[in-house]
Amino acid sequence: MIAGRGRQRIRPPRRHGLGGNDLDFEKLWTTISAAFLEIHTRNASTLSYEELYRQAYQIVLKKRGDDLYKRVNAFEHEWLVTEVRKSIKEHYSPQMLANAQGLSSTTNERRMAGERFLKGLNDAWSHHQVCLSMISDVLMYMNRTYCDETHRPPVYTTAMTLFRDDVLRSPIVESESRSVLDLLCDVMLDQIQMERDGDVIDKYLIKSSVLMLESLYDSKPGSADERLYNTAYEQEYLKRSRLFYRQESELLIREADAGAYCRHASRRLYEEEERCKSTLSEGTMPLIREVVEDELIRNRLSEVVEMESGVRFMIDNDRFQDLNLIYALNARVDDKKSGLTKAVQQRIIAMGNEVNEAAIAASQAPAAAPDNGDKGKGAAPERSTNQQTVAAIKWVEDVLQLKDKFDAIWKMAFQKDNVMQTAMTKSFTEFINSATFPRSSEYISLFIDENMKKGIKGKTETEIDVVLEKAITLLRYVQDKDLFERYYKKHLCRRLLMNKSISNDVERQMIGKMKIELGNNFTMKLEAMFKDMTISEELTSGFKRHVEGLGEQDPRRIELAINVLTSMTWPLESMGPSEEGDSRRTQCNFPPAIERIKRGFEKYYSEKHSGRQLTWLANMGSADIKAVFPKVPQKDGTFKERRHELNVSTYAMVVLLLFNDMAALQSLTFEEIQAQTNIATNELVRTLQSLAVAPKTRILIKEPMSKDVKATDRFSFNEGFSGKFVKIKVGVVSGGNKVETDRERRETEKKNDDSRGFCIEAAVVRIMKQRKELSHQQLVVETLHQLASQFRPEVSMIKKRIESLIEREYLERIEGAAVDSYRYLA
Amino acid sequence: MDVKKKYELEAALAKEAQQISSGALKEENPLDLSENFSILCEACRRGDLKVCQEMISSGVNINARDKFDYTPLILASLCGHYEVIRLLLENGALCERDTFQGERCLYNALNDRIRNLLLSYDYAKSTNPLQPLAAHITSLLSRDTPKTTDITIEAYGQEFHLHKFILAARSPYFAKKLAAAPSTTSWKLPNAIPTESLNIALQYLYFAEAALRPRMSEEEEMVVLNGLAKISRQLEIERLFESVTELKSDRRLVRQQRTEELERGRDQMEEWFEDHIVKNKIVVDTDKVDKIEWDRDNSIFADILLRADDDDEEYYDSTDDTASAGASESFTPLVRTAEGPLHGIPVGPVRSRSPSRQRRSPKSTIYPAHRAMLLRSEYFLTMFTSSFREAQETSHLQIIKLDCSPEVLEVILRFMYTERADFDLQTAIEVLFAADQLFIEKLKQRAALIISSLGNGSTSTVEAENPRGETDAEEIVDIYEVIRAGWDTRVQRLEEFGARYIAYRLERYIDEPEFAQIVQESAKRVKARQETDTVELVDDIRYYLSERFRLRFEDSGLDEMLAEEPRYQEGEELADSVARIDLEGKEPEDALVPDIEAQIAAGAVRTLDGELAGDEFAQDAINYQILLGKIDRLLEKLNLEA
Repeated sequence: MIAGRGRQRIRPPRRHGLGGNDLDFEKLWTTISAAFLEIHTRNASTLSYEELYRQAYQIVLKKRGDDLYKRVNAFEHEWLVTEVRKSIKEHYSPQMLANAQGLSSTTNERRMAGERFLKGLNDAWSHHQVCLSMISDVLMYMNRTYCDETHRPPVYTTAMTLFRDDVLRSPIVESESRSVLDLLCDVMLDQIQMERDGDVIDKYLIKSSVLMLESLYDSKPGSADERLYNTAYEQEYLKRSRLFYRQESELLIREADAGAYCRHASRRLYEEEERCKSTLSEGTMPLIREVVEDELIRNRLSEVVEMESGVRFMIDNDRFQDLNLIYALNARVDDKKSGLTKAVQQRIIAMGNEVNEAAIAASQAPAAAPDNGDKGKGAAPERSTNQQTVAAIKWVEDVLQLKDKFDAIWKMAFQKDNVMQTAMTKSFTEFINSATFPRSSEYISLFIDENMKKGIKGKTETEIDVVLEKAITLLRYVQDKDLFERYYKKHLCRRLLMNKSISNDVERQMIGKMKIELGNNFTMKLEAMFKDMTISEELTSGFKRHVEGLGEQDPRRIELAINVLTSMTWPLESMGPSEEGDSRRTQCNFPPAIERIKRGFEKYYSEKHSGRQLTWLANMGSADIKAVFPKVPQKDGTFKERRHELNVSTYAMVVLLLFNDMAALQSLTFEEIQAQTNIATNELVRTLQSLAVAPKTRILIKEPMSKDVKATDRFSFNEGFSGKFVKIKVGVVSGGNKVETDRERRETEKKNDDSRGFCIEAAVVRIMKQRKELSHQQLVVETLHQLASQFRPEVSMIKKRIESLIEREYLERIEGAAVDSYRYLA
Repeated sequence: MDVKKKYELEAALAKEAQQISSGALKEENPLDLSENFSILCEACRRGDLKVCQEMISSGVNINARDKFDYTPLILASLCGHYEVIRLLLENGALCERDTFQGERCLYNALNDRIRNLLLSYDYAKSTNPLQPLAAHITSLLSRDTPKTTDITIEAYGQEFHLHKFILAARSPYFAKKLAAAPSTTSWKLPNAIPTESLNIALQYLYFAEAALRPRMSEEEEMVVLNGLAKISRQLEIERLFESVTELKSDRRLVRQQRTEELERGRDQMEEWFEDHIVKNKIVVDTDKVDKIEWDRDNSIFADILLRADDDDEEYYDSTDDTASAGASESFTPLVRTAEGPLHGIPVGPVRSRSPSRQRRSPKSTIYPAHRAMLLRSEYFLTMFTSSFREAQETSHLQIIKLDCSPEVLEVILRFMYTERADFDLQTAIEVLFAADQLFIEKLKQRAALIISSLGNGSTSTVEAENPRGETDAEEIVDIYEVIRAGWDTRVQRLEEFGARYIAYRLERYIDEPEFAQIVQESAKRVKARQETDTVELVDDIRYYLSERFRLRFEDSGLDEMLAEEPRYQEGEELADSVARIDLEGKEPEDALVPDIEAQIAAGAVRTLDGELAGDEFAQDAINYQILLGKIDRLLEKLNLEA
């Protein structure tokens, strides 16, 4: 009708030689299926893509896509069932059919059989893939149009699914319920087990099997969890691995030591991860890691730590590598590393307590140890205090050694782990501040004192720095900083006044370090002490100039060196005699010459600083006396005048000057001396002991000669005294810094408690002033917090202080409050 | 939509004018007073797709402006011709935001549908129409499989695997060199030129944007630029050096330069295509086609031969075509091959070479081609990457038969080499099918576009001149064929076109048995999915039918009438028409009840038509009803849901 009417008609598409729908489908399909057969039998290189594609295209264009699709699938199904299944059957070995882990055969045979089977299956699979990708190419038009429109999966996908159903899920032999897939999984598991046992297996084969299982899905394709690999293999693999490692760890823990166990565990972990990379799927890695960690670490760690060759053994023997292993293993399963941490902490506290006990034992040992010999000549009580000092220093050194040891472990084995460091610090703090060992503050201060006086002699700056740093390190652990401050002040005071310090620079350095560590507050008083010393020096030289300026050139002039100390900053009471009575009250009578110069200085000082009161502490001073001993025959037969420069304490000078005006051989009783000098009894006793009893400095002769000084004893000038040196130092009995006696310690603590009381009150008032009202509980917590840098007060003490503040009407209780609360009264 | 303020637009306009006058920017919409352009503008006003397509094919600059400063796109969007606008945009008409003309275009859009269409083609989203070609050629530089390279350039240990035909097409230097020695397989880089310069030059030759690597030190840059200067002189591609050194500041400037560059490159490819491939085609007797042997080392570096056989019908129909083919036949070297490729499988089951045709032996046309370009089709890509015969290396070039006529093959080849797709309506359907078979999506769309724009015949979509569906006898399209082709190749556009085409001529088609058949086919397509679905084709026809008549009513100037009945609710419409018919004193029964015998009704209309030419409105209303009624009857007869 319309056709033929136009002159320029649009040309219809070619009908490929056929009009309408009379397509010879069967004929085309014969050609196509023949070609597919060629492809499957690896004969494709002569086939023409163009022809095959065109035929498939025609079929689809003629709306026979449905038939084609079905035919292709049927063809593939047929091929898989008849050909592929048969070829795979050829690769079974008899044992495999009997039992995957055939016990009757040797490992080697089993391995070979397994590999044969895997190889056969893999070949079939990869060939199937190649063929199907070629077939997909041919059927591209159908895939793009027919499959898209009808929402069917492309041929390739369907064919892969067919492989799963027709090959993998087919029974191994007709009667068996086990499928090829089960067999495959069994063989793979078996192979991996062989590898775990040390055999060499063909990883590539397993990997390609894994890839095959990964590209197939259990039911509907899509989610990764549905892959055959996950459903059929991975679960089983994890289960068997868990079992294996559970058994292995049991065996190991029974037979190996902790180090070997750790080494083995980390090797297994590494192996499993490597296996996932090289043999299995990366996706399995976290899962299998979890399994191994569970079985080898999590469930076993505490046992390993506790083993005889466990953490304790490793620490004691510096097994850094083993510790490192155990650390690494623990870190894998636990961020806090609690198992290891606990063990290490226990060990630190145990070792710390040992050190503490050793120190206590040493200090209480009645007899001096042989190495204490250098002090052996001292008096008996002196010896015991010396022994204590040695114990103190040993304690410090032991603690430092312990610290060094654990630092090394921390660095080398624990990879400088922060959690570990915190835990270790905590343990150190614990044993250093343990209730059974209250002396740490004192010992540390003593350690510094010892070093300041002797230890640092001849050391380089860096060495000194190391020593100081050590002291600071320990200081960090000390909780009662105020106690330490008290001791340090006392020791420092002595060093300064008696010029015992080797280097003032080092002292300042130390204070600088403490400032950094403990803050300005802590060192303020210490610095003030240094300042006093400097000012005193200026005063001395100023006074000297002043005297010179008076023009009174007295050849017998007495030179005065003076230290003016601020009574608040210096722990003067601790310097005085340790009796209860107020020693300052008993002012000693100075000889007139001295008294003159004393008044001179007082005048000079009051001119410079008005309104200040000077108190003379004679017990702390010293004097240089030039003494001439008359010509009397000596024990060694010499007969000549002897001049000595005597360095004595101020009291001793006062006593000696008494004899200056007396005739030879005239004597004074103890009471007479005391009456003239007004020196406190115990001080005088000590002074006279040093002058008359000590063998090297027997400037006075005591009647009767004995160690103790009695009120009735008589003293006279020893004209026959002689010494080897011109300069003679007359020591004062019981000078220097020693460990306190128990009595002293109680006193120190009492004082300390008093000052703590003030601190607590001050803190409480500060807090209340700010908060106005606060519950008891909160107040205690805040107070503890505020004082943490200084010391840790006992709660009962805080309670007492609060009571006291209420009494003094700083605070009041809030009546009727639900919890105990206080209000601040301005 | 945010609209720019007037002063902002004026400022932008002034700046643009300044840039143009200073030569920095090319005039985007140059004044065009040519006759073709004014024809195009006129067609855009009227919405005449066919003329638009013809004018665009003739090479008119669709971005030019007329003496009233109108561009075709502005005209079309102002007049509300959606199809025309789409055609213009698909052919590269610019509608860029933030430019004067672009904003003007958007501002003038008749309705939101058109405005959204324009916005969706904003430059930021659309790409240069030549970009796919360029991207493909650039990708050849790094493509390993299948191997298509035939020359290697070495430079300091680095090897570049390249294609002789691209080098020859793009660089006069290579063209001469390779013409002199076509079998060369390697070329040494002059020592003085750094590898980086060569790399840039190759990028340029392979249609990539030539630019220096970013973050080079100044010395490096100097060295590379020097090298570039040398290499561009040697290869006689001076444009390279210019384009690298030009400043790239303005977005539009960059785009203009890139467009120019691509067009130049395309022209070179086209020139090469015409000079080497088309000129080297061979026409032989089909039974002698197997004897053609081409060496690998041929002067046009072809590595594959494509064969298309003449259509059976053409043995009788066309005469001039084969005459020229016969002339070229004498040039073809015919060699008998002993080891011809597999013959075991028959070449399709139906190529009956019936001995009854004695007049002329069947002819085949052979085109030499390059795999590298054929890869643009997924079909060839798959073919050459597979392990089938076609992908294997043979001593002589393989001949691959394509299932289309030689003209179509040439269209396809031209498209793949040059992105040009201008062909006439006759071949359009065949191209459509071939492109579908070979998976060349763009060509397929192009064919659909040509069919739907040219196929409409001389009638415009605005049916002002043709109110009653009267068409001249010149049927140039078998519309059923087109619709089926649209279905077969999954091109929605063709089905829409078919529905519109039929709707505007429904009087003619409604009674044809073929119409009933195609409606049934359409219904079957739907039924494959869901039982309750309507028939898509019929729905479309109804839609276009209502559009057709609405336009009529609007044209009649009876606005008041329209206001009273804005939609053609059947009852109202009917009552109205009945009233009018009563007034005229004619027998209303036929029109009253649509169920009455359709033939009688149709007859009645025809008599009405003849007598009541004065009242077009009533006539149209009745015609509309009758046509709708006929459709319903048809559906009923076919037992389909309405």
